[in-house]
Amino acid sequence: MIGRVLSTGSATVTAEHVAAFARALGDPNPLYVDPEAARRGPFGALVAPPTYPIAFMTQAMAGGMDTFLELGLNFMTLVHGEQEFEYTRPIRVGETLTLTGRISDVYEKTGSSGTLDFVVLETEARDADERPVFFSRNTLISRRT
Amino acid sequence: MTLAIGDELPPLVKGPITREDLKAYAAASGDPNPMHLDEEFARNAGYSGVFAHGMLSMGYLAEFLVQAGGVGSVRRFRTRFAKLTWPGEVITCRGRVTGITDRDGERIAECEIWTENQAAERKLVGSAVLAVPRR
Repeated sequence: MIGRVLSTGSATVTAEHVAAFARALGDPNPLYVDPEAARRGPFGALVAPPTYPIAFMTQAMAGGMDTFLELGLNFMTLVHGEQEFEYTRPIRVGETLTLTGRISDVYEKTGSSGTLDFVVLETEARDADERPVFFSRNTLISRRT
Repeated sequence: MTLAIGDELPPLVKGPITREDLKAYAAASGDPNPMHLDEEFARNAGYSGVFAHGMLSMGYLAEFLVQAGGVGSVRRFRTRFAKLTWPGEVITCRGRVTGITDRDGERIAECEIWTENQAAERKLVGSAVLAVPRR
């Protein structure tokens, strides 16, 4: 299971999706929502906030859930334990990114509250020139019941 | 800002978090987990009620980091979701610079970061690397 490619997918970053995401965070930065301000800004175009990859991955990699269910995780007790991002540059609105998601680790820990299952998912995003844009490492924890 | 070791990043206050905020975040992020939306579901799972998405608070921390370093300054960013964040809580994002490296015309600042509620209880704890032009 470890190292297995969970899913791949590619999608185009839209202004609507980025603006909705920034609004849901209450983040007023004009570079995320205002095309005029963004054109005059340092990137010449709208860009996405740093945690936008989480929404983009959900949108671009629908279907990864099947493999996920095979892991036998208890969805009732599934929580997000840790999240890590690395960025080469901001994501630009209008670009198409290709994602590759892998299970990088699976382990368990037993303590006073029972056994916890840990699953670490790694996702890499590359642009049309195959250059890396961001990397995400997502640790999920589920409690056995 | 100049970013030197020991500097505190300017705090960012968000909230109080409402159930409407959780609905909006669920829709915008594509996270259908009923734990954040359905009181009965959350109680059946052993919680006192719905709680905020960890990624909502991480989004607040992102706004806080960009406020300090500017869009494009965040190179690495990690958090551990140590404690749950509840509706009604006011969340303050805080951090301080723990390391500085000057390289290729850039100042690379390592920072410890966290969110805390109004009782100064830490919820998300983590670290970030910001790169800003050297002046």
